[in-house]
Amino acid sequence: MADSHPLIELRGLHRYFGQTKAVDDVSFQVSRGQVFGYIGPNGAGKTTSMRVLATLDLPTAGDAFVDGFSVVDDPDRVRRRLGFMPDFFGTYADVNVREYLDFFARAYQLRGTKRTRAIGHVMEFTGLDVLADKPINGLSKGMKQRLCLGRALIHDPAVMVLDEPAAGLDPRARIEVRAMIRELANQGKAILISSHILTELAEICDLVGILERGRLVAVGSVEEIQRQGQSPQNVVEVRLLDGTITLADWLHQRSGVSQIQRDGQVVRFLHAGELEAEADLLKAMIEAGFRVAAFGSRRKSLEDVFMQVTKGLVQ
Amino acid sequence: MSASAEPLPLDAGPTASAARGWPARAERLLVWVGERLNPILVKEARQSLKSKQFVLTFGLLLLCGWVWSFLGLAIFGPEASYTGKGSEMFMGYAAILAFPLLVIVPFWAFRSLASEQEDRTYELLSITALSPRQIVAGKLSSAGMQMLVYLSAISPCLAFTYMLRGIAFPSILMLLFYLSLGSLGLSLVGLLIGTLTSEKHWQVVLSVLLIVGLLWAFGVACSLCSWVIWGLDLPVSTAEFWEWNAGLVTGYVTYFALVFYAAVAQITFASDNRSTRLRIIMIIQHVGWVAWITWVLVAHEPESEILLILLTFLGLHWYVMGALMTGESPDLSPRVKRRLPQSFLGRVFLTWLNPGPGTGYLFAVCGASAGLVLVACIVFVHEAYGVGTLVQSWSPGDSERLLVFGVLVLAYLTAYLGIGLLLIRLLHRFGQVVMFLGVLIQILLVVAGCAVPAVVQTTMSPSYYSSGYSLLHISNPFWTLIHVGSDSTLPMDTSLLLVVLPFAALVVFLLNLPGVVREVRHVRIAKPERVAAEDAELAAVKAPPEPVRTSPWDVVEPGSEGVTG
Repeated sequence: MADSHPLIELRGLHRYFGQTKAVDDVSFQVSRGQVFGYIGPNGAGKTTSMRVLATLDLPTAGDAFVDGFSVVDDPDRVRRRLGFMPDFFGTYADVNVREYLDFFARAYQLRGTKRTRAIGHVMEFTGLDVLADKPINGLSKGMKQRLCLGRALIHDPAVMVLDEPAAGLDPRARIEVRAMIRELANQGKAILISSHILTELAEICDLVGILERGRLVAVGSVEEIQRQGQSPQNVVEVRLLDGTITLADWLHQRSGVSQIQRDGQVVRFLHAGELEAEADLLKAMIEAGFRVAAFGSRRKSLEDVFMQVTKGLVQ
Repeated sequence: MSASAEPLPLDAGPTASAARGWPARAERLLVWVGERLNPILVKEARQSLKSKQFVLTFGLLLLCGWVWSFLGLAIFGPEASYTGKGSEMFMGYAAILAFPLLVIVPFWAFRSLASEQEDRTYELLSITALSPRQIVAGKLSSAGMQMLVYLSAISPCLAFTYMLRGIAFPSILMLLFYLSLGSLGLSLVGLLIGTLTSEKHWQVVLSVLLIVGLLWAFGVACSLCSWVIWGLDLPVSTAEFWEWNAGLVTGYVTYFALVFYAAVAQITFASDNRSTRLRIIMIIQHVGWVAWITWVLVAHEPESEILLILLTFLGLHWYVMGALMTGESPDLSPRVKRRLPQSFLGRVFLTWLNPGPGTGYLFAVCGASAGLVLVACIVFVHEAYGVGTLVQSWSPGDSERLLVFGVLVLAYLTAYLGIGLLLIRLLHRFGQVVMFLGVLIQILLVVAGCAVPAVVQTTMSPSYYSSGYSLLHISNPFWTLIHVGSDSTLPMDTSLLLVVLPFAALVVFLLNLPGVVREVRHVRIAKPERVAAEDAELAAVKAPPEPVRTSPWDVVEPGSEGVTG
């Protein structure tokens, strides 16, 4: 029964604040063991839809489901299955790490040795065991972030919703958080994660959803998004010894070439086609008399995809 | 991934459970209790012990107690030992204790919830497995724990006052009992106010109002305390004294439950049923009143004015409850619809407990009508037995006056709540009407009913008050009821009032009936498949294990695997 439906499902979700459409008809699914990256500019509606999923807000229309349970009609059942890490710490004064985790373990009805084990497990997983008796207010930002992840994990939920978990962390802490998230996915949890650091998301996400002005403008794997509605595109960079303006004009007349940009001696553009087509293009370039110093192509990064499908609109 | 952390202090190790004797049993009991304590109480107890605010308040309380002990003894001198200065000393200690109990603890309860909302920790708390009831109970028990700590800190001083003589032991107990009730009650009110808004600016406004209210309560408590100590000899040996106290405690408990569940309803998830439990408490409360009124009438033969006061109170109570209920949303969520009564009898008797403004209106009108029926029964019994046997102090016109007063109270309640509900339904067509707006509409209606005739009369004649009551003021419930109830002989225009007001109430009631019928038509819907499947799984887990055949005499039923004998 539990495997017959996705662990996370948003179905035609709408959330309006007056005239502002914070979330506008968003639908997607995340299965067991998958990491879904939620991308969008500030104000795109990521946090709002995550809050609906975490039963902190009600949708204006549509519904969201966690393990098949509606967040509107069965919030209690959803809460038992979901761990939410918001974009704020939410810590208490005069409490140390162990007491903080103990409180949330009790709040999730864990008793006796079960609770002790859960706290020990979480502290070990997040590397907080050495700081167990340290007051929370004395923790660094990275450690607080780990603590919040630990709190969201304390009842071993099947679904994790992480809102900007790596925001403001140093590179080492970011790498560690990333590794933890991947580990959680390997344990079979469905994870919805939002972040502004797109390169990081590309590394850990199985699926990506791009949100702009409340609407999901693209969803799927990075490759799938790249392929949406057109043949695969690569980013091509050509370094010339001279004549970049002429090359840009020349490229405008070629088929399969788009988004041409000049940056000093470098011309960068998108090219639709396979490697053979790129080789033909280089050959044609040299035959046309351009003095090519370097020619390289790479697959589009998540940032490229993001820039391609969004228009930079905010509300 | 194994448990590497040291066990928490309350966790019983295997050695503890294996140990024998009463210390081990007591320890196991404590562990068992500790495991079942409200998590919020545990957390806040830990926090309190480290918090500066608690240490400061506790230290100040102790210091004030000591200072007053030395100061009092210095003022009274050697005569303190033999002239019974215990009452004077007690008054000082009571004031010292009343301040933290009636001001600090309730305000702390308010801030505790308000700061959770400010720091957004409340969001994290609300998505745990803790129910809204557990959250409110946890906060309240934390307040109760603080109260107990303050009480225990000052208790040696109170014992000292008893030894000084001049104050009776029952008086000390009685005052401490009511001080504790007051502290818990005000803490609960603080919690309810804390749930009203998460907006910072409103919280500031509410905290100022709360502080003013708490300081006022502190002043009242000190006055009552001095009245009990010096002005009143508590008649503890009379049954009447205990009956009054029991009545007071009944009222306290029922209102406490009402405010408690109102606070719970405030933080309950929007798609959940927030109303039914409150309505059940209202019914219990009503039954309690009926019982006490009947008891007072039978046992003490009160004056008819007492019943007039009770009727007025009943009308006001049901008006406030009705104003709140008519502000509810008319739409029922699928979650609520899953638990609607299904059987014929269930639908007949329990539909009125369903959330909704229409059922709420009818519920309030029925509640007030029940009060009127009670008065009618009393009057009937009074008339049947005759003056001088049941209620000796009643004059001949009192029965009639009571009935007229009761009918008018009911008519006003039905009319005003009904007109308010019609307006709310009209506003629903243009957008959402929150409960606050609903209540505001109801209050404004009554204000308009009182103010408009006053303005009209002032315009017509500058001598407003000297002109007395006229039918122009028929929409003013307060003046009309005072006009009818103030004298034992009914005024001349009573018959007209008895025609116009009930007729108006009936018309308004009939206009509201279609809306009520629409709400009554809601029927139960089935659980979603996923919910039903999980319920079945849980039921299977909770089901008793299959019986095992342990002897040759156990009989296995043919066609089943169970053992029956």
